[in-house]
Amino acid sequence: MSANPNGTAPASAPLLQVEAISCRFGGLLALDRVSLELAEGEIFGLIGPNGAGKTTLFNVISGLTRPSGGRCLWRGRPTTGLGACGINRLGIARTFQNLRLFESLSVRENVLVGLHHAARAPMVGALVGSGPFRGHQGRLEAQALELLALLELDALAQQRAGDLPYGDRRRLEIARALATAPRLLLLDEPAAGMNPAEKDDLRRLIGRIRDHFALTVLIIEHHVPLMMRLCQRLAVLNFGERIALGSPAEVRRDPRVIEAYLGGQT
Amino acid sequence: MDAALLEQMLLGALLALSVYLPLRCGQLSLATPGFYAVGGYVAALLSTGVPAFAGTGATSPLPALLVEMALGGSLAGLIALAIGRPVLRLRGIYLAIATIALVEILRVLNLNLPFTGGAMGIFGIPQPFAHPEGYVLFTLVLLAVACWLCQRLEVLRLGRAMLAIRDDELAAASVGIDTPRTKLIAFVASAVLAGVTGALAAHFLNAWNARVGSFDASITTLAFVVFGGSRFWLGPVLGGLALTALPELLRPVGDLRLILFGGVILLGPLFFPQGLVTAERLRWLGALLGRGRGRRKPLAP
Ligand SMILES: Nc1ncnc2c1ncn2[C@@H]1O[C@H](COP(=O)(O)OP(=O)(O)OP(=O)(O)O)[C@@H](O)[C@H]1O
Ligand SMILES: [Mg+2]
Repeated sequence: MSANPNGTAPASAPLLQVEAISCRFGGLLALDRVSLELAEGEIFGLIGPNGAGKTTLFNVISGLTRPSGGRCLWRGRPTTGLGACGINRLGIARTFQNLRLFESLSVRENVLVGLHHAARAPMVGALVGSGPFRGHQGRLEAQALELLALLELDALAQQRAGDLPYGDRRRLEIARALATAPRLLLLDEPAAGMNPAEKDDLRRLIGRIRDHFALTVLIIEHHVPLMMRLCQRLAVLNFGERIALGSPAEVRRDPRVIEAYLGGQT
Repeated sequence: MDAALLEQMLLGALLALSVYLPLRCGQLSLATPGFYAVGGYVAALLSTGVPAFAGTGATSPLPALLVEMALGGSLAGLIALAIGRPVLRLRGIYLAIATIALVEILRVLNLNLPFTGGAMGIFGIPQPFAHPEGYVLFTLVLLAVACWLCQRLEVLRLGRAMLAIRDDELAAASVGIDTPRTKLIAFVASAVLAGVTGALAAHFLNAWNARVGSFDASITTLAFVVFGGSRFWLGPVLGGLALTALPELLRPVGDLRLILFGGVILLGPLFFPQGLVTAERLRWLGALLGRGRGRRKPLAP
């Protein structure tokens, strides 16, 4: 391990640093020099009105969109140019706001796809199905069932993912992301379309998952009361700009936040 | 049934599997006939030009055939490896068009290279088997091996990664699947299988020329998979067998053959959107067999 270019020891660096990320689509500046830092173990919330650039920021962090400016650092090292696969392998997994499951595969297989790529099978024997390989397969199957049980999807393991109702799909997205053994989990509106009781269940579930896997969580959600209870810190985006950052109590009092959320109505 | 027709059907099934492999990860490649032609030329050139491959007896030596198949498959695979990365960046219909162009380039090369015999091609290719039955037996073994490898894809991580890419390439990348690499593996495997099949077919047909790797052949082999289904290996195999037999049985239709395949490609998806063999029908078949003979492993998950 060599020291990184900034000369800071990786151990003391935050888990993820977003440094002045800008993202331009034609004439639209979807992100305008957005910066934030995630510390290991926290649940960090990202809120803001529709079209504020929240999903775009997720796309940049997870390597799906190349930013027009700025960079991200993972434990102090730039992630520039790694691509979605490379960034997942660093330990960043995400869910999609507009649900992108492998719909023709079963619930169990959706999770197995994630698991496969976290744990390489012994190459020798994989082709012929030798004893060690079958043992490896058995462990993956067990892990998949465990994850599905955690997300209360175990009863649906054999169903086609495309046939699931909406709420189950959202939880399967989380299960599939967790299967890749991430250190940082990005959740894009995991409670969208859920009723208040389901939202409450989901909030507890996210807390449980964080404790169980000792994860760091970055979550986008429109339901502000839920975010106030769930997150240790919040950032607020508005028209691509980060207008506030701090504890839920600080953010709630911030005049720019009040303006952004209520501005149109006064 | 006539052994020569049976052999053609088995070769059709092998080519169908070659089209199936890229399609399993959602890549519509029509390059199979190009690689098939390359494999055949390797076998034709070696067995007509190199005495050791031609042999001295009534039949050419079987080990020579195996070496030709290995070399034909390797050359096809190397070409696929060389062009795969850039070509597989194209999606959907653009990939299809690029692979048709590849087939055309190979065809024109085969027509004009100084050693491929021009439009006449290469003929008098020696026979490793005295009777068609020998070819049938040999090809059956090859097809069984190819099917068994495809069946392994159902449990291997590579096989699942392919299906994940087919469903959603972007989501596949974000769960850590190296999507360009997976697509390249499928493309190269497809080329190797087509090359191996070509080497065998050159002997069986006795003559080899540039017409074997034409646009017509691209459409024909695609029809095998559209008809049979592209989710599970059994589909292309059945499609290859059936659609090779059909026009031979309807020999009087002559050139109408192409219209027939065009019809299959047009109408097949209307009536069987997923082809003959689908996941549901396999489950149903598995349940039926399971009831008869007690518990057994399902064919497809
Ligand atoms: N690929 C793209 N090409 C062009 N414009 C885009 C693209 N992706 C996002 N945008 C635009 O960027 C802006 C920010 O979009 P984004 O999806 O990040 O918002 P969001 O904060 O997630 O909103 P929501 O709460 O509705 O999900 C929007 O105006 C959107 O139309
Ligand atoms: Mg969004």
